[in-house]
Amino acid sequence: MRIVALDSVADRLRLKRGQGVAEARAMHPQLDVLPADPTADQAFLSALADWCDRYTPLVAYAGADGLALDITGCTHLHGGEKALLDDVLSRLFQLGVEARGAIAASPGLAWALARFSTARLSDDSVIEAGEEAAALGPLPVTALRLPETLTDTLIRLGLTHVADLMEAPRAALARRFGPLVFLRLDQALGHDDEPLSPRRPVAELSVERRLISPVSGEDDILGLALQLAAGLKTTLEERGEGGRQFELLLFRVDGKVFRLLAGTSSPLRDPQRIAALYKERLAAVHDDLDAGFGFEILRLCVLKVEPIKSVQDDFSGRPDQSRALADFTDRVIARFGDEVLSIAVLAASHIPERAASLQPAGDAVLPARKTLQAEEWPVMPVRPLRLLTHPERVEVPAADVPDGAPERFFWRRTAYRVARAEGPERIAAEWWIDGEDAPTRDYFRIEDETGRRFWMFRNGLFQRERMHPDWFMHGIFA
Amino acid sequence: MAENAVPRETVLALRDAIARLERDRPSGSCLSRWETEGERAGFSASGRSLPMPDVTGQDVTRQADVLPLGVPTLDHAMSGGLPLKGLSEIRVAETRDAGAATGFTLGLAALCQARRKARGELGPILWISETMAGQEAGEPYGVGLSLLGIDLRAALFSRPRNLQQALWIAEAALGFSVFSAVILEIRGNPARLGLAESRRLQLRSLGSGVPVFLLRQAGEEEASSAHLRLLVRPAPAAPFMLPDGTMLTTGIGHPAFHVIAEKTRAFSPVDAYLEWSSHARRFHPLDPVAVPLPANAADPFTVLSASVGRPGGAPALGRVMAFKRAS
Repeated sequence: MRIVALDSVADRLRLKRGQGVAEARAMHPQLDVLPADPTADQAFLSALADWCDRYTPLVAYAGADGLALDITGCTHLHGGEKALLDDVLSRLFQLGVEARGAIAASPGLAWALARFSTARLSDDSVIEAGEEAAALGPLPVTALRLPETLTDTLIRLGLTHVADLMEAPRAALARRFGPLVFLRLDQALGHDDEPLSPRRPVAELSVERRLISPVSGEDDILGLALQLAAGLKTTLEERGEGGRQFELLLFRVDGKVFRLLAGTSSPLRDPQRIAALYKERLAAVHDDLDAGFGFEILRLCVLKVEPIKSVQDDFSGRPDQSRALADFTDRVIARFGDEVLSIAVLAASHIPERAASLQPAGDAVLPARKTLQAEEWPVMPVRPLRLLTHPERVEVPAADVPDGAPERFFWRRTAYRVARAEGPERIAAEWWIDGEDAPTRDYFRIEDETGRRFWMFRNGLFQRERMHPDWFMHGIFA
Repeated sequence: MAENAVPRETVLALRDAIARLERDRPSGSCLSRWETEGERAGFSASGRSLPMPDVTGQDVTRQADVLPLGVPTLDHAMSGGLPLKGLSEIRVAETRDAGAATGFTLGLAALCQARRKARGELGPILWISETMAGQEAGEPYGVGLSLLGIDLRAALFSRPRNLQQALWIAEAALGFSVFSAVILEIRGNPARLGLAESRRLQLRSLGSGVPVFLLRQAGEEEASSAHLRLLVRPAPAAPFMLPDGTMLTTGIGHPAFHVIAEKTRAFSPVDAYLEWSSHARRFHPLDPVAVPLPANAADPFTVLSASVGRPGGAPALGRVMAFKRAS
């Protein structure tokens, strides 16, 4: 067992990463050793990244133990760079997280300073433009994010600090160590560009509200959501757009962040309707939303926008039909999920179960939908009202004609006598999907003596495809 | 003696008043065995014995919120037609009859939709089907629905996970008057759909003017807030008519149903055979005698009662005022 991470106390005891646990225990018997759990570490880092969303929407992972925040254009909201850094570090300290941070013009330099700087004051952790070289120079070469073998070689050659590299002749070193050394150096100094890749797509629009005293009640959250939505309205109107997907972020006092997604079937900007979506969402997640000591920041983001056509209400006073319908589907989907509401979609296929299917209604606003209608089919077939999801096996004792309709059959342990039968309607398999061996089905419409009408098929042609083909119940007629 | 005389007089006066009220809108009870008793008492509400014109002529004009089915016996029993507001229950005794009930209910929904379309509205239909109901009797099949006369562009299907969700969706839909009909399909007599829940549906439906059809698969008759309960049974279809007018006796014609109005304002249950013409999108009365049943129709099996796993109780004594909860 080896040491993979140390806290600051252990660091002062001059223990090293990679050292054996037994050896470390021999040196310091009072050592407290915990097994490493990378998955939990990752989850914790991800939760911290969520927490950091309060400062900037662009939060990226920086290795397995750090976060990079792109604070371009965000600092004035927090009173300047230094104030922001102080705020982050002090809040993290209050959360019980020992963190170090630095602000620099390039991610590489900030990474190096946060990990290797010996500065005690946060003043020294904010690097102004033009001071990069001076800040990076005294740091060890380990701060350049190079592979371990490369760093070891550099140190063995006496190039222990970044300043040594900066002074050394470039061409010779690049020939010897490859281009990576100077790429990293240039990136840290800001000569070369290095983009951050944020964890989440940046929202199109977002409005937030910071509260002095945290709220926990559902009604309070809804009221605030309505206010936030009202704040979005003017911007959306100026852009001529409406939101298709919204996200409400609830920052809990203790650092946990809840994200509530809500989609709509048509672009939306009416604050009341956006708030109504969240009413359903909150009711649906009721038990999972643990308010704890309350939420301190609420943010409403629009993740997806679409152009919206402004509609003038008419004077009839009747509610707009399609809007009411969209409102209903949105409410149901926000509450129970996408798969609860569906529409029937027809497809051009002879195979009955492929000819019609139920698709989620979420994306389609009903009247605008263009689908195949059964009237457009060249021949009107005979089709049942209800189709069994899986055709059910039917016992047919004997038929007069081997490839004719049955005279009696057993289905779901009940005997039926056939009074009338129509058929067969022969439907061949789609060989390009099912393969060439798929059996042909002979469909019969059957009425029993009481008047129940069933749709049954014989799976395979008698003695040609199957010796004794099986019968299946596939549908029920009116 | 003198003490008894006054109450007796009051009782007679009340009885007279009740009789007057009920002659106007005959109030109902449920089982056929009181038919003779009722008729002896002067309540001849059974549709067959009544002249038709005063049924179709007056009632319909007086009540705009009913939808006449075009089947006089049923229309009269339902005092003019299918109520366009409120909860109506349609039940089948067995799951295998679900096709008949589905067809009948969708026929009603198509009629409601046609009414809305005539007013220039879209009139979508919402069919909420409990998961178990769909698994047992089959999922709605688009092609078949389209052939029955349902406009698929104005049909929404909902498959909630449990009854609670189904009720929520139904209530939410009743808040929007865009829907021309809401079909709520359930299985059996669940305890969570009792009097209170059906009352909620009833009130919401009355408020928004959207009819709710409670399609109950394999359910028993149960006290509920629905003003109307219909039992649907399968019926042999009339022979198929060829384009030249000849009948093809071996063919199966339009969907046919045997509908029994179990709970109406009429005194006794009324039944009618009807068929749905998907081309004309309307019901036609069907004369069961005229349907030539095949020769082997004589049923050697006795139809057993649907109750399985519990003993059939003794028949109730006296009048049944309300059914016990079947759930």
